Amino acid sequence: MAQIVSIDPVTRIEGHLRIDVEVTNGVVTDAWSTGTMFRGYEMLIQGKHPWDCQQVMERICGVCPLIHGTAASYALDDAMGVKLPDNARIIRNLALGANYIQSHILHFYHLQALDYIDVAAVLNYSGNDPGLLVLKNKISQLASANDLYPFLPAYSAPDYIGEAGGPGDANLATELVGHYVQAFEMRKKAQEMLAIFYGRMPSFVGTIPGGVTQPPTVTNIAAFASRLTELQQWINEIYLQDVLAIAAIPAYKAFMKLGDSGGNFLAYGGFDQNQAGTEKFFPRGTIYGNDIMSVQGMDETKIIENVGHSFYTKDCGPLSPKQGKTDPQLDKENAYSFLKAPRYNGQPMEVGPLARQLVKKPDILVKLATDLGLLTPPVKFGILPRTAARAIECKLIAEEMTTWLGQLQPGQPIWDPKGQDIPSDSYGRGLVEGPRGALGHWIHIQNQKTGNYQAVVPTTWNASPRDDKGTRGPIETSLIGLPVPDVNNPINVVRCVRSFDPCLACAIHIIHPEHNGVKEFRII
Amino acid sequence: MTGKTVSRRQFLKHAGATAALLGLSEAMIPQLAKALEELAAGKPPVIWIQGQNCTGCSVSFLNSNYPGVAELVLNDLSVRYQPNVMGGTGQTAVEAIDQTLQNAAGKFVLVVEGPVPTKENGDFCTFGLGSGTKKLMGNTVPNDKPIAEWIKQLAPKAAAVIANGNCASFGGIPAANASVTGTTPVPKYISSLGGKMPPVVNVGGCPSHPDWFVGTVLEALLFLSGKGKLNLNSNNMSKTFFGQLIHENCERRASFDSGLFLEDWNQADPDMKLCMFKQGCKGPVTYADCCVRRWNSKVNWCVGANGPCHGCASPNFYKELSPLYEPLANTNFAGISTAPDVLGWVAAGATAVGVGAHYLYKQLGEKPKDTAEGGEK
Repeated sequence: MAQIVSIDPVTRIEGHLRIDVEVTNGVVTDAWSTGTMFRGYEMLIQGKHPWDCQQVMERICGVCPLIHGTAASYALDDAMGVKLPDNARIIRNLALGANYIQSHILHFYHLQALDYIDVAAVLNYSGNDPGLLVLKNKISQLASANDLYPFLPAYSAPDYIGEAGGPGDANLATELVGHYVQAFEMRKKAQEMLAIFYGRMPSFVGTIPGGVTQPPTVTNIAAFASRLTELQQWINEIYLQDVLAIAAIPAYKAFMKLGDSGGNFLAYGGFDQNQAGTEKFFPRGTIYGNDIMSVQGMDETKIIENVGHSFYTKDCGPLSPKQGKTDPQLDKENAYSFLKAPRYNGQPMEVGPLARQLVKKPDILVKLATDLGLLTPPVKFGILPRTAARAIECKLIAEEMTTWLGQLQPGQPIWDPKGQDIPSDSYGRGLVEGPRGALGHWIHIQNQKTGNYQAVVPTTWNASPRDDKGTRGPIETSLIGLPVPDVNNPINVVRCVRSFDPCLACAIHIIHPEHNGVKEFRII
Repeated sequence: MTGKTVSRRQFLKHAGATAALLGLSEAMIPQLAKALEELAAGKPPVIWIQGQNCTGCSVSFLNSNYPGVAELVLNDLSVRYQPNVMGGTGQTAVEAIDQTLQNAAGKFVLVVEGPVPTKENGDFCTFGLGSGTKKLMGNTVPNDKPIAEWIKQLAPKAAAVIANGNCASFGGIPAANASVTGTTPVPKYISSLGGKMPPVVNVGGCPSHPDWFVGTVLEALLFLSGKGKLNLNSNNMSKTFFGQLIHENCERRASFDSGLFLEDWNQADPDMKLCMFKQGCKGPVTYADCCVRRWNSKVNWCVGANGPCHGCASPNFYKELSPLYEPLANTNFAGISTAPDVLGWVAAGATAVGVGAHYLYKQLGEKPKDTAEGGEK
């Protein structure tokens, strides 16, 4: 018999997300993804000096400020006709790369790992590592004080690593918890790399229209490089190995193909390798129906936003984001989300590390996918491939950053003064790849002030509701077929949702295109 | 170790780091160690909930150093509910709050990140399931529980409330849309509830610096246990962190005094010493210690990266500080033209700076929110 299971709050993500699933005979048969927080963000920026946009837009999200600030900078550059100096392009790549590293490490260890590890297994650690023995002692003190917060209470699952009768053993679980603790320090070092060029994180001052604020010097390059070397080693020896160890556990084999989002992928492409942006470290492209050998082009005019199941009036869609209209209607029948449903070429698209790496297809990914049997039909990419693609991407970007560091030229320009010539009327757009996927910002400068401003963000693609045709969004589709033997323990549902690394603050922000005001409305 | 969670020596070491964080002299360390030891024996419980936030203050908390976040969570605080790091999800997450209300009522610290929307019954920001129902494409499902309801339930039972970050404390960026959402700063919302409420302390910053947040929690806990002072400025922020203007202690102050300003980001300035005033620096009107505390393990800060301070710790950030990249007062500064040569001369003395700061506030159309010598609460 079918039963609806409502999961709220979905924790260990950014923001306020609720997931409802219909479970029939122990299997998910339908799903709805709903964002539950609204701010009305872009109103603030209308009529303001365009230079303010980067500072305000980076504050859409405290987890992804770097990519929003970067997208805003590219949108402003575009509107002002900037020719970005090489130093500025490279420093922006380095800062974004540093943010990928901190974001991916944070996601795997601090947001995702607790879905696979029994923290209490640390009590049964039988190894001799002095650091892990200290950890065991600490956890045992907390357990005897009956204070294992913030790890417990949590869903119980028979297949946690280290659980009695579960996969792996207490020593593996303890090592992973040890790495969880180390990862706090590692992601902090990645934030420090960012601060070297951009001042601080989260929220930074390092990019401006036309370039960056701080020139490369021998000193800041060396400070950046020393942290990068340490992180590269840790990513290769710890992060990637931990992901592979989890992927190798037979109990999780089903998660290779379970959690497939429908097989459509979109990448705008990111990390410009030349001034014109014609060469990118992560190429742009689209994939349909998991046909990964056939990468198609990416044409932004094919992006259309649907509102059939969103809290907006019928005439708000289907429209391109550039003409985007957002007229709220909360009593709309069958609407259930503040997110619109962006579609590319009429299809829901998954964005993020898996999309990017399937478009790029680096050797390491193809080899791993072959070894794991992912390329044997039916080709599907589920929870663990999504996680593995993130780790592989982290390794690739960290290695490429060494090349970029070597390309910096102290003494050469970091800024195109054209960035301060505000046109009286101009459009600009910034299409970038953030840690969570394809991100676009669109600005219309009117009378030298900020007019309309639109952002279509990664989580809007991934966590979108059904479109006008009734087709589910990628996360909703990915949940169908997941086993939920106990409706009080929908662990597999949140394992799948978290594999997308959702970020809800980014996804919900609406604006009226004509007066940039948000109409009075209510949530049912 | 004999049953105690941390050894005496560890506490002394820890107290050393904490004393540095709070700007206390070394002579205070043994006293602080004793206080911390007594506090940690009970591991003060913390419930950290999120309103109309962006999670920037949580991410900033993860950047904490001396003590690091693992140390804080394992040794110092019993973090019961924190949506970004906690193990629990859905009902198991809410269970942690229920347990705390049962076994630690009146003893937990309530941290609120992000402000509280009050219009439409608070439905603009919800987490957890409510007691009623709603329709979801034809299905009847539990409805949502607003953050406003959570605070109404939790605040009266907390020992103290920390409004973490500018938007929780003052409304910040989300408050710009208050006419639609009814966005209300946390202290204002709590006082609107009436009844007996615990003290509410603000931590400014967009985001808050981890030291500001951790230090303010420690100060509040030491104060509540009768072992320390809690010196707040007129905005209810700790004077330990928000007692002086950035401009007063800025490493580039000498350039301001000499009239050496950054005019162009390609300008040859190998030692990066030029003053950011002409690029819109809000340091002269912002009370915070970024310039000496710095960010991200002391690696840098905004001005250190050749960026202006945007005044993110000011109660009036962002709206009243815009345009961010234009000089604060573009006609006059202490009654004298802003021509660099004159400007440097005027601001050369400490008195002139004080006058200048107040004058700038006048230019911004409001009174200074605080002074370094402001009254204690």
